[in-house]
Amino acid sequence: MTFQIILLVAMLAASAFAILAKDLLKAAVALAVSSLILGIIFFRMGAPYAGVFEISVVAGLITVLFMLTIALTKQGDDVRESKTVKIIFPLFFIVFALIDLFVMRGILARIPALEGAAEAGTFGEVLWKERSFDLIGQLAVILAGVLSVLALFRKRDRHDHE
Amino acid sequence: MIFLYIGLPLAVSAVLPLVGKASKRVLPDILANAALAGLLVYAATGARALLAQGPIVQQVRWLGEAVNIRIALDGFSLFMLMAIQLVSLCVGLYSINYMEHYGAKANYYALLLVMVAGMNGLVLSQDLFSVYIFLEVAAVASYALVAYGLGAEELEASFKYLMLSVVASAAVLTAIAILYGMTGALGFDGVAAGLRLLEANTVTGIAAALFLMGFGLKAALIPFHAWLPDAHPSAPAPISAILSGLLIKVSGVYAIARIFYHVLGLTPALSQILMWLGAVSIVVAAFLALGQSDMKRMLAYSSISQVGYVVLGIGIGTPLGVAGGLFHLLNHALAKGLLFLTSGSVQQATGTRNLDEMGGLAKRMPWTAGTNLIGALSISGVPPLGGFWSKLIIIIALIQSGEAALAVIAVLASVLTLWYYLIMQRKAFFGKLAERWVKVKEAPFWMTAASVLLALLVIGVGLWFATVFSTWIQPAADSLAKGF
Amino acid sequence: MIMNEWVIYLLFAAGMFFLGLYCLLTMRNLIKLFIGIEIIGKGVSLILLSTGWARRSIFLAQSLVVTYIVIEVSLVAVALAVIINLYRTNQSLDIRSLTRLKG
Repeated sequence: MTFQIILLVAMLAASAFAILAKDLLKAAVALAVSSLILGIIFFRMGAPYAGVFEISVVAGLITVLFMLTIALTKQGDDVRESKTVKIIFPLFFIVFALIDLFVMRGILARIPALEGAAEAGTFGEVLWKERSFDLIGQLAVILAGVLSVLALFRKRDRHDHE
Repeated sequence: MIFLYIGLPLAVSAVLPLVGKASKRVLPDILANAALAGLLVYAATGARALLAQGPIVQQVRWLGEAVNIRIALDGFSLFMLMAIQLVSLCVGLYSINYMEHYGAKANYYALLLVMVAGMNGLVLSQDLFSVYIFLEVAAVASYALVAYGLGAEELEASFKYLMLSVVASAAVLTAIAILYGMTGALGFDGVAAGLRLLEANTVTGIAAALFLMGFGLKAALIPFHAWLPDAHPSAPAPISAILSGLLIKVSGVYAIARIFYHVLGLTPALSQILMWLGAVSIVVAAFLALGQSDMKRMLAYSSISQVGYVVLGIGIGTPLGVAGGLFHLLNHALAKGLLFLTSGSVQQATGTRNLDEMGGLAKRMPWTAGTNLIGALSISGVPPLGGFWSKLIIIIALIQSGEAALAVIAVLASVLTLWYYLIMQRKAFFGKLAERWVKVKEAPFWMTAASVLLALLVIGVGLWFATVFSTWIQPAADSLAKGF
Repeated sequence: MIMNEWVIYLLFAAGMFFLGLYCLLTMRNLIKLFIGIEIIGKGVSLILLSTGWARRSIFLAQSLVVTYIVIEVSLVAVALAVIINLYRTNQSLDIRSLTRLKG
């Protein structure tokens, strides 16, 4: 468990770096590292499929898309972030962490839970049989994404509406 | 086959881009609108017959094996399906003309159909997580549709909408995780049963608050409304119509109603919170609408205000209140859809949305002006149009429950609503015909046809409100009140 | 004890939410805002998986997380498409240049 906590802290740190970094490429790498760590956390919880998905899709695919966007918007690097924001950040974070710890302590015994039945079957069976409706949803959302990208990057003719 | 509601739009939308390559104009239009019309007919006739035997649970079979797709149709879902198909069809017809010069019409129709499929899936789901998935399906489609014109204004609106929606999704998923953690179930029945056994009021309260935050943002309740006044005006008119008329209600109000009634259980505290949230939305948005000079922005604030009425009605908790809220949902969907469509006609004819620049358009665009007037009167609660009856029912329900203060607020806000709509009518349509508008023409055929169709529906619902009430609204309210 | 460990995961997930929200509220670069969206997404995945893990139904949890990640990818694709288009129109990634709408 302690190793998990170390990993969690590392994930938070990488994410914080991604937010505060000035260089967008460094931020992208930090975000990918954060995803990688989350994937490892998933593995160690006994969730290999989620871990694989997290690493290959979020740390992989999304980072690639991200880099692509950075490349296409090269001049946008000159956006100056407010310095004060970066300085007050640790302060806010510490306040938040204290409140968070306090709340979690209080919750510790409070959330009642029903005993559950043991899980049957394999991951494949659960995904395909029990959550089949979700798969339709996934198809639909992928379709929506593809159509959206096609629509947003369409060729615009001369006489287009502004 | 209830699954058709999700399957048909998705299948057609997958095919549309290819069809669009072959035929730029006619075929995509026909295909898309035929699909919507077919679903509407099915909802109006076939599904009702099925329902007479009690709520339907459908177990879909795929290649012989029973796949676990449980979708269920009860009075409430059927009512929402009707509303969705009705307004979507009119929007689809309207888009035949309006989206001409936006380009890639087939792609637009495909996105529209995906959004309809998402909304249909949402109202048919029996499972918390499925509700979330279809909410996202409709939302992702809507981001692209808002930004469809690719102008600076719409892209900005779309991005802000997107950012806020992500926060809403996170809130909803956290609430779902909490409920799942407690009860070990994701289906409505399972969670409801589990919560009854557990009686964990504080944690359920936290989950309820998170749900309110998330779905409240989708429904644009104050104080979660910030995205709507930017997104709805910048979107193309038919999209504004479907967003204001349907999406905020399906992904916002329907979800709140379904979850608060069937899963969490409506406690007196929750009821009060819903009612006051609704009341705040009604009043604040009405005042904000008064000061607007942008026609579509005024309509957007009006949407926030009217959704407040719906939430107020649903929050009362009595059968009459719920029925009133649902009736107002229908009236607003029809009327606001109509208003946005006609505002699009005006925008296309004159090139502006600024009310101060318009004037006397009724002389040149009589159909648009007439239908717009009907929509405005209905929302303002002028008899005998639909809006009057639904507001009356809500007010009566409020008085019956002893909520005199809220009843007074509802009445006064209604007067405010009438006031700003009359301002819009006067500035845009009546008065002297300004010089520059002497040459404008009435809107093209399909746009006018769609507006007229909606206007007829608005009038019809008003005149025959008793029938509409007993056939559609009462079963919906009943199924909501008694639990599934 | 699983309950205690679950609360630790919740703690950190809340931390991710805080980071993401902080980013959305204070950053000006559109791409940084997008990073905020991503971080919130990670927080959500963590909450979903850890809740399923705490209930010992790790397969269901993974199904939910996988589905959520797929949704997230679509969202990212659309968001980046909007950002790229915004850059092309405004020649800037600064959110302060998006002042056309008053909200």
